[in-house]
Amino acid sequence: MSWIATMVVIILYLIFVLFLGSVAGRGRESSVVEYIAASRNLGFIVMYFLMGGAIFSAFAYIGGPGWAYSKGAASFYIMGYCALGLLPWWLWGPRAAKLGIKYQYVTQAQLFADRFQSKALSVIIALVSILAFIQYITLQMKGSAYVFEIASGGRIPFWAGALIAYIVVVLYVFFGGVRGVAWTNVFQGSFMVVMAWVLGIYFAYSLYGGPGEMFRQIAEAKPTHLLVGPGAKMSYAAFASALLVSVLGFAMWPHLFMKAYTAKSEKVLKQTIVMYPTFAIFLIPVLFIGFAGIQQVTPDVLGAPDRILPWMFTHMHFHPILVGLILAAALAAAMSTQDTITHAAGSIFAQDLVEILKKEKHTDREATMWIRISVVGFGLISYLVAIFGGQTLVALLLGAYGSIVQLLPLAAATFFWPRATRAGAICGILTGVIYNYLIVLNVIPKLWDIHAGIQGLVLNIIVLIFVSLATKPMDKKHVFRFTV
Amino acid sequence: MENDLEKRGYGITVFSPDTPPSVKTRKIVFFILFCLIILIQAFYWLFANSATPIILGMPFGMFFIALFIAIEFVLLLILYFLEVDEMNLEE
Repeated sequence: MSWIATMVVIILYLIFVLFLGSVAGRGRESSVVEYIAASRNLGFIVMYFLMGGAIFSAFAYIGGPGWAYSKGAASFYIMGYCALGLLPWWLWGPRAAKLGIKYQYVTQAQLFADRFQSKALSVIIALVSILAFIQYITLQMKGSAYVFEIASGGRIPFWAGALIAYIVVVLYVFFGGVRGVAWTNVFQGSFMVVMAWVLGIYFAYSLYGGPGEMFRQIAEAKPTHLLVGPGAKMSYAAFASALLVSVLGFAMWPHLFMKAYTAKSEKVLKQTIVMYPTFAIFLIPVLFIGFAGIQQVTPDVLGAPDRILPWMFTHMHFHPILVGLILAAALAAAMSTQDTITHAAGSIFAQDLVEILKKEKHTDREATMWIRISVVGFGLISYLVAIFGGQTLVALLLGAYGSIVQLLPLAAATFFWPRATRAGAICGILTGVIYNYLIVLNVIPKLWDIHAGIQGLVLNIIVLIFVSLATKPMDKKHVFRFTV
Repeated sequence: MENDLEKRGYGITVFSPDTPPSVKTRKIVFFILFCLIILIQAFYWLFANSATPIILGMPFGMFFIALFIAIEFVLLLILYFLEVDEMNLEE
């Protein structure tokens, strides 16, 4: 009967998050700029958790310990990219924000499409973003479903767990907009960080007498586990290129990029970037959980590495209420990412695809309605992919991950290279995205284990430069609006 | 204004024409430092691909990455305080 106590804790948690998210947007005007960009007036604490919640995902909370358990030192890359990911934002976050205020942008594609005077670019960016988003939301839903399965002792099947997460998130995103997402992330972010530290330190001390002794034992039993390179689980090239593609691509993720439009001021944006590396430090105890499992359970008994977190606490005979709190924290990690992305996917679909293809400007009311419909639709598609997703679809979506970094040359060209032209931008991004997909779908081989996204990026930059130089420059008055 | 625009070329534009040289130097120095931090973490295995010594309860590789996260944080703080006056002026 202990599972009932665990489930009660999780249900109470869900009710609170739903309440918080739904009331956050109450009493605010019903406009696109409020729904997508919180009327451009979010303060530092809310911005910090809004951005942090996006990275502290199911992958970090459940997958992070799994990586530490199965791949060892390769998991250090998660800390690296989390700390460095927002750095490039220092260069263009404030500029994007200023242009957003001046020209009323609320999405990333609106900025790039305006700079390059191309609606086709808006559609390409929307499609690339949406494909990547579906994979990301699906991953979070699977994480949530997994939590419900464990909490109920297998009584809540996978499809039902994913459905609960879908309904809760869609409800507060639907009613609360980005403000709902932001305030739930403040609560969820602080909750999961506290739980991560308590658990990571507890496991290391209770099982080994401390993290130092834990790592000493791991190094003795598995000498290559705490290394990368030959004989280890990740090659040198794979580690370096995975970290570089993540750092370069991280701030290009549309759901993060467009948050530049929500900040109250440049100061708030820069404060968020300054404090962001602290999230990487919060990840250290999360990795400890996985490392602590190495000497406790063999991979054959465990099944999948992602099971290490639940395996650890179910074998520690914790009180059911504590188990409920731990699982609620895992759920917080998944939902705080799922909500941000669901909100962004709906906004991008409505603003950058529907409005462009309909060739007429929506009124504020129509636009908000379209975004809300898209939020529900996207959640549903992601849910269906989570439940029925086939291998081809999964491969297609994986390719989208490496495609996001292909937006980087567009950002650099927008802010720093007035000579870049529409033809250069379109040819560059198409080359990068297609090349990346050809590698992911195994049509062409991957060079030296280097991330497909990085290979596509190099080609993308070359094509952007050559095609731009070969075509007529764009109007000076127009392009210098976007540079300093 | 129109004339100024005519004179400007299409080359890479990182700074506005009226940026003081000291600000330019500062921004370039920090840009190089942050690029180095990114590269050091991506290629950490060149310097710290070892489990020992264990420092602050972490294997050497993990400690090395955590150390550079701390250095990055301190540099960002310094840069923020150097730029805060300019931001105040703009607001």
